[in-house]
Parts: sequence; C-alpha cells; structure tokens
Amino acid sequence: MLLEARGITKAFGSFKAVDDASVTLEQGDILGLIGPNGAGKSTFFNCLTGDLKTTSGSVLFGGRNITELTPELRAGLGLARTFQVPQTFEGMTVLENVMIGAFLRTSHRKEAETKARAVLERVGMIRLADAPARSLGTPGRKRLEIARALATEPKVLLLDEAMAGLNAHEVKLAIDLVRDIHRSGITLVIVEHIMEVIMSLASRVMVFHQGKEIARGSPREVTSNPAVIEAYLGKRAAKAAAGHTPVELMGGPGL
Amino acid sequence: MRRLIWLSVVAAAAIAYPLLLSSPFQQRLGALVLLYAIAASAWNIVGGYAGQVSVGHVVFFGCGAYAAMGSYAKFGLSPLLGIPGGIVIAVGLAAIIGVPTLRLSGHYFSMATIAVAETMRLIVTNTDWLGAAVGLSGPTVPRNIFDLSFLSSLPYYYLFLAVLVITLLITWWMTNSRMGFYLRAIKDSERAARSLGAPASRTKLYAYMLSAALTSVAGALYAMMFGFVDPESGLGILISVKILIMAALGGAGLLFGPLVGAAILVPLEEISNSWLGGKGAGLTFVLYGAIIVLIARFQPGGLLSLLMRRRKPTTETGASHAP
Repeated sequence: MLLEARGITKAFGSFKAVDDASVTLEQGDILGLIGPNGAGKSTFFNCLTGDLKTTSGSVLFGGRNITELTPELRAGLGLARTFQVPQTFEGMTVLENVMIGAFLRTSHRKEAETKARAVLERVGMIRLADAPARSLGTPGRKRLEIARALATEPKVLLLDEAMAGLNAHEVKLAIDLVRDIHRSGITLVIVEHIMEVIMSLASRVMVFHQGKEIARGSPREVTSNPAVIEAYLGKRAAKAAAGHTPVELMGGPGL
Repeated sequence: MRRLIWLSVVAAAAIAYPLLLSSPFQQRLGALVLLYAIAASAWNIVGGYAGQVSVGHVVFFGCGAYAAMGSYAKFGLSPLLGIPGGIVIAVGLAAIIGVPTLRLSGHYFSMATIAVAETMRLIVTNTDWLGAAVGLSGPTVPRNIFDLSFLSSLPYYYLFLAVLVITLLITWWMTNSRMGFYLRAIKDSERAARSLGAPASRTKLYAYMLSAALTSVAGALYAMMFGFVDPESGLGILISVKILIMAALGGAGLLFGPLVGAAILVPLEEISNSWLGGKGAGLTFVLYGAIIVLIARFQPGGLLSLLMRRRKPTTETGASHAP
C-alpha cells in the first residue's frame, strides 16, 4: 500500500470540513475525489499533502506515519501536488519554475536545469522554457504546475482540479498528459469537477458530501449510486432523473 | 558579453573616482556611497531576494559597530578584531530573532523587526558598560595602521570598495545556488515552494543570518570611519529605513540595485545637508517619505528593473496554446 489515510477529521472550530474519511491508494491507482462544492474534498486533499494539519486521524506513506510531517518533507518522500489556483513563481522563467522542483533531488544548478528541460520536453513546453512564467495563460500555468511537480520525481502526484478553466480541446490534451504520467509509473490522486475527466481517468472514485464519504467504487458504480445523484442534485431531482444516465446529469457530456 | 562590458566600466569608474574627484568632500561622499551600498546589499539578501522586509536591520549594523568600537574601548585591541565578534553576535541574534519572526508574513514581520530594533536601542542606551547614551569611541590617535584611523577618506574608500565587491560576490554566488532559487520561489509563493520540497523556514533563516553577518560588517566599517558609535548612529531606526529605501529605490532583489540606490540617495542627502546645514536633516526624511510613496505607487521593482524591463519586453508568448 502506497498511501493510506485513516479516519481523517479536519475541523475548523466546530465545523467538521472532513469527518472521519479513510482511503487507501495502491501503486498504479488513479483515485478520483469528487463531490459538490464545499464537500470537503479539497480539505481532505490538503490533509494528505500536509498543507493542513489534521484534527485527528493519520496519514501513512509507504507504511510510514507522515501525519506530522511538513509539506516539504512529504515532497522529499515522493508526494507531489498541484494547486487549484496555479501558484506560479511569477518572477521566474518557465524553466526556473521547473528547476525549483528539480532542486529537490540535486543541489547543482546545471543538473537541475538539465532535468527541468527534460521535464519541459516531456510536457510539451520546451519552446517556452525561457519565457517569463507570468506571461502564461491559465492552461500554460496549469501545465507548468504539473511540470514542476514532475520534476520532484514523485511516487504519488496529487492534482487539484488540474483541468478547471480549460476548454474542451485543452482538457483532452491534459487528459493525455495525465495518462502519460500514469504510464510512467506514477500513482495519481485527482480532485476534479469535470465528470468526463473522472470517468475517463479514474480507476477508483471516492465521493464526498458534507465532509463525509458517501460512496466509493469504480466511476460507473459511483455515478449510478442514488446517494451520489441526490448529493449533487437534491432529492426531487434525483427521483425525476431516474432513466437518464448519471453522467449526463452531473454535467458531463457522456462518453 | 554586454554585461561584462558594463561591469568593467562600472569597476573602472569605481576605482578611478576618488583619484579624479579628489576633494575631501568628494572622497568622503564616495566612501559613504560604498558603505551604504554594502549595508543595502546585505539587506537585499533577505529583504530583496527572500522578500522579507526587515525594518530592524540596524540591530545587526549596531552589533558590528559596537563590537568594533568595544574591541578598542574595552580591550585596547584594534577595531578590526571586533569584526569577527560582531559577526558572531549578529548571526546569533539573527537566529534568535528569526526563528519566531520569520514565520510572520508581510507587514507583521516588518513590525516585529522594528520592535526588536527599538528594544535593543533602549537596552543599549541604558547599559553603562556600552557607554549608555554617550556611546563608545575608537582610537583618537592611531597607534598603528591596524587601528584603521585615517584622516583622509581615501583608504576607507578602497577598503569599502573591496568589502562591497566581496558582498556582491557572495550575493551573486547565492543567487546562482539552490538557496537563491528557493528564496525567489518562497518570495513568490511560499506554499508552492514548500510543496516542491523547499524548506522555507530554514532557507529564510539562513538568508537572514547571512544578511545579518554582512550588515554587521557594514556597521563595523561605519564606526571605524567615524571613530565612534552611540545608540542613535549605531542603532537608530532611521538607519534601517535608509538602507531599505536605497535597496528598494535601486531595485530590491537585483544584484546591483542597492548600489544604484546608494549612489543616488547618499549624494542627495549629503548635498542637502551641506547646503542647508543642520536644518537639512529633516528635509532628507521628507525626501525619503516621498520616495517610499513613489516606489510603492509606480515601480515596485526599483529603477534598475525599469531599465531591464525596457530591454526584455514581456509579451504574451502564445503560451495559452501550450497544452
């Protein structure tokens, strides 16, 4: 087992954003985290990466308890992430942004640069290497986030809405990139609103609603689960929706 | 190549300046520009590259100044021998101050550093062993060359020039190392930097300690040139402000930014002081206030970045079609 969360609870004051959520991740998984806005999936995600301290519960990585480790130490162990709102290093070039990731495994500038160029080549951004990162648009920034994370040589890559704000064509390209990353042996956790992405990528899905896990299973199982449809659309709509495919109802165009 | 030519021109001008413009006033002015350039460059490491705007840097300046004068006044040694002591004290103090305050973000960090600096000034003002409000004096008549007590500003000029070159070399080396890259990343987004494995707290602390060490050297040199230090000249908050404004005006986070800032502001201050006498001092600070407003409003990157931006246009590079 690569990554495991046991009974994670994250409370802000008396409000439990995540309530007793558990998950296990095997090598080669693509785990999708879905749920309506405010369901707690991002909070859960941030507990896995160490950006948020858990109120209770524990996170294990390769059997080791990492609950108390800082984000940078988790990165060192092989846990990389991207941000929902891209956290681009604005004052740097595209190449330098990726070098920050590469510096995790080497302290030599030349080596970091060589590695960063290889990653940029891989994600198809090499011709932008010397462009100032602030000149990138949203799709470029989202892709740069992934490139930076890849440069840290992760075992697990957590993508926080890496496709949000992309158009249909860009989403297809991004899906291809994620597949390519997965093929290279990296295990993935993806938080995503776009159902099409989850349906075509995830091997397993975990659905959050009001801080609690309400369903888990294959994408198909989960999207036909009445509790899931109800969480997204409400009780009456769920009844009325009987007969439609769940994917259509949840905003995806179907496959 | 172009950079190399520029460097040679600046270096040649710096070496030739006190020989070409050789009046005592001009030589003193040159020495002061270099001295403040050292202090502002030292500040730049943590304030510019790391984006941690310390307004209490005078504490480290004071460490150096008091260590140099104390070395003579208390132990009868050359003020030069106080420099290593000043560095040790400054670095230790930086560690003590930095651990709790570097967690604070933005203005809160700045305010905490002001509080520490003012506390230190009050403590020293009330410590008899450190000369209290009167301060400590250096050798009035030099016993030998190691007392670094010269009538002419010329020896100071070249000494400061050498120290400035060393300071800039250290800064340059740092910016090309992993630490420099991490600092710039932390400045833009600490959260993202940490997610990529950059140990943010430790990196900032190291930068703070390095900056403190170099600032203390500047303080020691200052005290040697003036031959004394008191709480106002060694620990006054206005010195912090001056250093900060010079770096910001020239270009914080740029290697030569602080030098440019010092080369503009020090002459302005000295000339206005000599024209207006003691009354000019107030005017200088009105000027500083105006500069803060102008920098904040128009050019957060400083004058040098204005020049560099003109050379490197930043346009949309078609990146939006990237994925």
